[in-house]
Amino acid sequence: MTEIVVDGRGLEPPEPMERVLAALDGLRPGQQVRFLIHRQPYPLYDILRRHHYPYETIAGADGGFEILISAP
Amino acid sequence: MNPSGLSFEQAPPFSVPLRFFLAAPVFLVLAAVLMLWEGPQLFASRWLPATLALTHLLVLGFMAQVMLGALLQILPVAVGVTVPYPRLTAALIHIPLTLGTLALSSAFLFSLRAGFAHAMGLLGLGFGVALIAFHIALWRAPVASGTVIALRCAVGALLVTVALGLLLAGSLNWGWSLPVVAVTNLHAVWGLAGWTTLLLAGVAYQVVPMFHITPPYPAWLIQGFAPLMAGGLAAWSVFILMEWTVAATVAGLALAAGLMVLAAGTLYLFTQRRRKISDPTLGYWRISMVSLLAGAALWWTTRSIPTLTTSPQVELWLGILLIFGFAVGVINGMLYKIAPFLAWFHLQAQLLGRAKAPNIKQLLPDAPVRRQKWALLATLLLLLAAVLYPAVFTYPAALALGATGVGLGVNLFSVARIYSRALTRKGLM
Repeated sequence: MTEIVVDGRGLEPPEPMERVLAALDGLRPGQQVRFLIHRQPYPLYDILRRHHYPYETIAGADGGFEILISAP
Repeated sequence: MNPSGLSFEQAPPFSVPLRFFLAAPVFLVLAAVLMLWEGPQLFASRWLPATLALTHLLVLGFMAQVMLGALLQILPVAVGVTVPYPRLTAALIHIPLTLGTLALSSAFLFSLRAGFAHAMGLLGLGFGVALIAFHIALWRAPVASGTVIALRCAVGALLVTVALGLLLAGSLNWGWSLPVVAVTNLHAVWGLAGWTTLLLAGVAYQVVPMFHITPPYPAWLIQGFAPLMAGGLAAWSVFILMEWTVAATVAGLALAAGLMVLAAGTLYLFTQRRRKISDPTLGYWRISMVSLLAGAALWWTTRSIPTLTTSPQVELWLGILLIFGFAVGVINGMLYKIAPFLAWFHLQAQLLGRAKAPNIKQLLPDAPVRRQKWALLATLLLLLAAVLYPAVFTYPAALALGATGVGLGVNLFSVARIYSRALTRKGLM
């Protein structure tokens, strides 16, 4: 499975979300986005659910999060 | 799948916070009209009916309006919980709060006894719904972070503020016997050093590092500030009511010191920004934190030098620094982050894959935000000057206040207009 990594750590909102949504726009079946972010992106989850993107959140040891998002 | 174990719910529709945000600037304009109408006599004492009416137009009409509306939005985004039935809850808070503010201000202004009874009913309903909704949401919060602890303390302080306010309104309406001066001071301090400061602290822990790319607040402050302030307020209140003067003075000094720590700590964080791009909302934060620092220092001084405590000028300065400089300033600045962000977010959520949403700077450019900041700063300085020279500065201060309200209202309204146009164009509204 090919993976697109989006690093949103340390960026001013809403830049992290802009970047991850841009990546999702071009996402093809079989690809996934790995989104690195320094906080829980609650508003993003809302958009993902609304547009039926399956996702998984992994809490990192450094207090950050990795969100794995696949195409709907 | 969601291994962090948090339960997520839909963020509320944009209309939920927006109705509060659009109504708030109108009350700044109403306050300005009241100043023009009453003139320099407003600045004779904080106890004059017109001065009390003006104060409540600001604290209820502007501050509480935005703070309650923003909480409905902040809880899902920052804490991961939402309040039940967001549209209905918002209406049940917003309508009584707006009408209750008008009823209370008119009751003060025209000495209407019945007005106090109406205000009690309306404000009791609006705040009652808000308190129940926020308590339910905050105790369901999945993580007891520093923000959740501060918000719980803030909502607890709101309960005390509202209860004391209702008690005071009852005494004005039905002549309940109360130590009015002491209860009024408790009401004001719980509202400003409790509800307002603790809510700001809880939100600041998240938004200052997030939007201004600063290091986080120190962990001891995030964990300890709100519980210590809430405990200090409770102790101070008991000392005041028991008339234990020395203990009350010491507790008052400790509370003032707490406010200074928050203000100085926040100003220090701004010097540590990792991104040096200028941000127009930073100016609002600086005006607010300097006002908080100055207000707390003035409070500290008056507690140390008791002869100053009773000076009407000092009391008015305290009110202007804490209500207008600190609270109105930071709320105004934060609205410029919250409103365009929410508009952008809701557009993204609805337009994803169908059309490109306008970006944040298209929703609200920097130039009008900078311009309005000068109106806000001018208002603050003119209000402070009007306390010393009311005859000279009252009218310029009123005009500056009106310009501040109109500027903010126009800017927020333009965000809402671009938002609804973008949706209309896609046939989504």
